[in-house]
Amino acid sequence: MKKLLFFLLLAPLLLASDIKTEQKIYTLIIHSLLPQKKEIKVWCDDKAKKELIDSIPKVRYILNPENADFLLLSKNQKIQTKGVKFVTNLKLLEAGKDSVVGGFFWQKGRPNILFLKKNLQKHHIKLPKSMQEYIEEDI
Amino acid sequence: MKHIKKIYAFIFFSIIAAILYLFYATSQIQQTLNTNVENIFIKEAQSFAKNINEEMLKHIQHNPYEELKKNPQLQMNMEHAISILVNNSFKYIFVLYRDKNGNYRYLLDGSKEKSHFNQRLSVDKLLWNKVYDTQKPLILNQQKLDSLWITYLKPVIFDKQTKAIIAIDFSTELPQNIYHAIKPLNKIFFYIFIAIGLLILILVYQSIIGMKVKRESITDPLTQTYNRNYLRDLLNHIDITNYQIIMLDIDHFKQINDNYGHKAGDYILAMTAQLMQKEIRENDILIRFGGEEFLIFIKKSSADTHLAYNIAQRVRKTIDSHLFNYENKEISITVSLGITCQPEHFKSASLAIKNADEMLYIAKREGRNKVVATIPNRSATNEMQLKSIDDVKAALDEERVICYFQPIYNTQTEEILKYEALVRIREKDGSITPPLAFLNSIMYTNIYNDLTKKVLESVFKQIKEKKVVISVNLNFSDILNNKIFDLIIDELETHKDLSSWLIIELLEYELIEEISIIQDHLLQIKEYGVKIAIDDFGSGYANYNIFKQLPIDILKIDGSLIRDINTSEASYKITHSIVLLAKEFNITTVAEFVHSQSVLETIKELHIDEAQGFHLAKPSPYI
Repeated sequence: MKKLLFFLLLAPLLLASDIKTEQKIYTLIIHSLLPQKKEIKVWCDDKAKKELIDSIPKVRYILNPENADFLLLSKNQKIQTKGVKFVTNLKLLEAGKDSVVGGFFWQKGRPNILFLKKNLQKHHIKLPKSMQEYIEEDI
Repeated sequence: MKHIKKIYAFIFFSIIAAILYLFYATSQIQQTLNTNVENIFIKEAQSFAKNINEEMLKHIQHNPYEELKKNPQLQMNMEHAISILVNNSFKYIFVLYRDKNGNYRYLLDGSKEKSHFNQRLSVDKLLWNKVYDTQKPLILNQQKLDSLWITYLKPVIFDKQTKAIIAIDFSTELPQNIYHAIKPLNKIFFYIFIAIGLLILILVYQSIIGMKVKRESITDPLTQTYNRNYLRDLLNHIDITNYQIIMLDIDHFKQINDNYGHKAGDYILAMTAQLMQKEIRENDILIRFGGEEFLIFIKKSSADTHLAYNIAQRVRKTIDSHLFNYENKEISITVSLGITCQPEHFKSASLAIKNADEMLYIAKREGRNKVVATIPNRSATNEMQLKSIDDVKAALDEERVICYFQPIYNTQTEEILKYEALVRIREKDGSITPPLAFLNSIMYTNIYNDLTKKVLESVFKQIKEKKVVISVNLNFSDILNNKIFDLIIDELETHKDLSSWLIIELLEYELIEEISIIQDHLLQIKEYGVKIAIDDFGSGYANYNIFKQLPIDILKIDGSLIRDINTSEASYKITHSIVLLAKEFNITTVAEFVHSQSVLETIKELHIDEAQGFHLAKPSPYI
């Protein structure tokens, strides 16, 4: 009975739960990486993520990657910028392990966050304590 | 009607119960299916995990991480073996170990979405650590993750130490398939419930409106008591034997309206109703019968046979002592009340109410602010043992209803001309009970009809045997009552040859509304040669119209006039004028209550034709 009601009433909400989880995680990641910025300019190569980025507080979606403070990459592309690069899958993280600071991706149905220690250091980023458990030496 | 309502309620609740049961049963089916599927999958997962564990223990000696790292071929072989177990239901099967930092990393991965050896995986560390530390398998419900349903975790133990955890993830496809299969059925029930819910809301709303309208239709807006609409309904289903009936009327109410205005009258009515309501009990019923008349049904109590009388007295005293204050004017009122104590002895509730009304009339006639219960002339019956209907019925059955006969004399010749039959009950101990003790209790009942028949039979028997003229007493209401009238006609028809010896004495009637019926009935009776006498003329409201309207042969002057004829000039003059009037209409006059020689002399002097009374002869059972 409980399950039935759960399915009847919460099924539409569940469909949105992944998106909400992603939004929360990205909020946490972006603000942990760039805590000093009053407004964080974010560029993303996946236009589908525009809405998600816009929903994050103190974050502005921009069209020019060169001006971005934070770049969210879902494809392998060479962009010369001082901004912090972050990827959306493990393969990109492996491919860009020299420049990318980290990645957020789904693995075995579970959300996974990884930060690469040496790239964090390159950007002089010190993560808050709650995020430090996701730091990896290498990949 | 009550049964129909019960049947409707039963059907309604049965439908609700059936739908609830089906709804519950459907959800139970889903739950049972889910549980059963869970059990099947868990058992299968346990079996898979056991096999993987055995394989690991078989090929690895002490440390899976070190040994698999050194032996990529073993790793590949084992991952291949695990991958065979992966299918749509068992989506991910893998083995993780816990590193020195407490993070979980891959040892083996048989899933299609393959991960590298030693690659990190974010898991719920609390629960995974529990498995690691307790060395016991765990089943996790993955409610927070969309694509997973259940995860089965089994520790892999080497040298009594947990070195890895086997994880088997079930995909959510199956429970979702079950859910989608049953969803239409659940939707149907859901909409049925909504429809029934709306229907119930509409029904409740309609019932509330209906009850409100019904209540307004049966409530008197001024006094907030029930009205005659309610009485009409009540009489259809009430068991009148459970009640005593009080009829109440506010004395001189017209004067209140005239002196203080109709608003004051309305105020008095409303306040009087409130006072009455306080004096009666919850299960008594107060009805505004009309105008200033109220009807109270008093629920009988086996412990108190005088309940209605006591309540009536209480009401009367309360209202009598209450000072009504309307616009700084103090108004006091009184009420008169009539009671029917035994409504069960009446043929219908309406007749029982009518009797209470007649008792009320008597209360008013006796001076108002009084309670009269069933017996009209209480002063005459105070010392008398009053008879119930059952007593009279028993007397009739046992042939103890008899007639006494009082002679009526010719005043000039002093010869007996005829007799007046007077009904009596002979008690079992031989004592005689007069009619005042029982006539009123049987009025309007079938027993009264039986008694009338008995008297007529007895009178005709005497006429036949003694060849004398005999008069019997009847009421105008008897002539109006078709049953009694038919009974009289039947008796006259049976004794056609003797009927000219019969005189019917009718009590003076105040207001004859159905005069044409009475005229018609009396003329029919007179066709048999029966003479008609008016009894007690001049006692109440002498209505001279009866000379014009009714075929009268004899006028019996009321005893109270004759009794005082020598002491009261008024009585003498009234009697004299009645005699003169009767002579004009060629009507025979009879003086009653002749109790002395001097009275006899006076009535002779006034040329009254006939006389009766104790001075001449007392009633006797024999002629």
